[in-house]
Amino acid sequence: MDEGTLRRIRTIILLFFIFAVFGLLIDSRIKAYSLAPTMKPADFHGLPIWEIPVAYLLDYFSHGWICLLFAFVVAGLVYEFVPKEVITKYMSGNKVTGYGLALGMAPFLTVCSCTMVPLFAGVLYSGAGIGPAITFLLMAPAANILTILLTGEMISWELAGVRIVVSLIVALAAGIIISETPWGKAIEKEHQKTSSGIQASVEMVKPSLDERLWGSLKFAGYLSKQILPFFLLGLVAVSYVMAYMPEDIVGAYLTGIPGVLIASVIGGPLYTPTLVEIVLGKGMWDLGMSKGALLAWLMGQPYDIANALAVSRIVRWKVVLTYMLIAWAGSVIFGITYGMLSGSL
Amino acid sequence: MEVVGPDPPCQRCQALKKDVEKAAAKLKDSGFNIEITKLNMVSKEVIGKYGILVSPALVVNGVVKSMGRLPSADEIKRIIEKA
Repeated sequence: MDEGTLRRIRTIILLFFIFAVFGLLIDSRIKAYSLAPTMKPADFHGLPIWEIPVAYLLDYFSHGWICLLFAFVVAGLVYEFVPKEVITKYMSGNKVTGYGLALGMAPFLTVCSCTMVPLFAGVLYSGAGIGPAITFLLMAPAANILTILLTGEMISWELAGVRIVVSLIVALAAGIIISETPWGKAIEKEHQKTSSGIQASVEMVKPSLDERLWGSLKFAGYLSKQILPFFLLGLVAVSYVMAYMPEDIVGAYLTGIPGVLIASVIGGPLYTPTLVEIVLGKGMWDLGMSKGALLAWLMGQPYDIANALAVSRIVRWKVVLTYMLIAWAGSVIFGITYGMLSGSL
Repeated sequence: MEVVGPDPPCQRCQALKKDVEKAAAKLKDSGFNIEITKLNMVSKEVIGKYGILVSPALVVNGVVKSMGRLPSADEIKRIIEKA
């Protein structure tokens, strides 16, 4: 068999798999069964300790596996096919292009904040300015394909939509405000555009379709290896929270304006850039947390300590503390606003 | 040629470097003289020179050939042959 035929066969097999995954998700939506865990706190009563996470994981994976598979496959496809050289080309243009690219591209580029730090440094060093760099840093982990798909399927599509819009506003505000502070300006001056510009040429090699499809699936596999262990641990934790956390405590402390404040503070340290915040948020919501508090909870990403440590090495602590403060204020303000508008504060 | 990624190297950058080394070893017999270096993308010099923002990236003879993806060993071989 010649190489061309082999490639065509590989392409067909890979496309078949991808369409099958899409088809299964569409089928699940037509049948309208839940893609999130369906067990309620009362279902855990009487179960022995070891059986609590087992029952919860079985409940979730028996119908939620397609959502996870779909989310990872889509994240892989998007990451592979999004034209990355566009960022290099336009990032060091003017400020507006910088912000536009940061907001438009960040959600498609990455899925966890660990890969954000080099990108953050890259945007800054390329001379695009501290503002777009911060916007990139805050936007990507909060509103990327994977988190939005999971938030939509596990919690609600309304909340997923609100999460995108609010992350966008907060990321943009943080970028603009920091670029106006004296310490932000100092960093920006340090990393001004070099007059020589980028010297190397970019001639991206166009791989064949079968190589790109295989690359996407391999990236999906890589992502799931990075994320799923934490996601599973998160599910185990949620199962115990659901089984033992008294509902009146959640109802008393995670509702109203104090609820938003508490959620915005505990959501942060709990945040690991691995979708755990979605599972935990869903668990707390089932126990009676208000929608406003849930939004504040989900926006805890900026106080991810490991991330902040790495970023502080590049731009020093003052900038990190400023974006943390802006993001925290954003999560509280929008948590309260969304809570009031949705009638669930 | 250069493999560009953050330091300490991420898993995917290590995988790319390994694949590049494999492809280079294969091509050595056909008379290609390939030197492989790992560059740290989180440095002003590298960003300034190549403009690479998404890792891992592959640079051959000063030209960026791929970024943000893991080309297969076959693809790497073709990239080197064409350069």
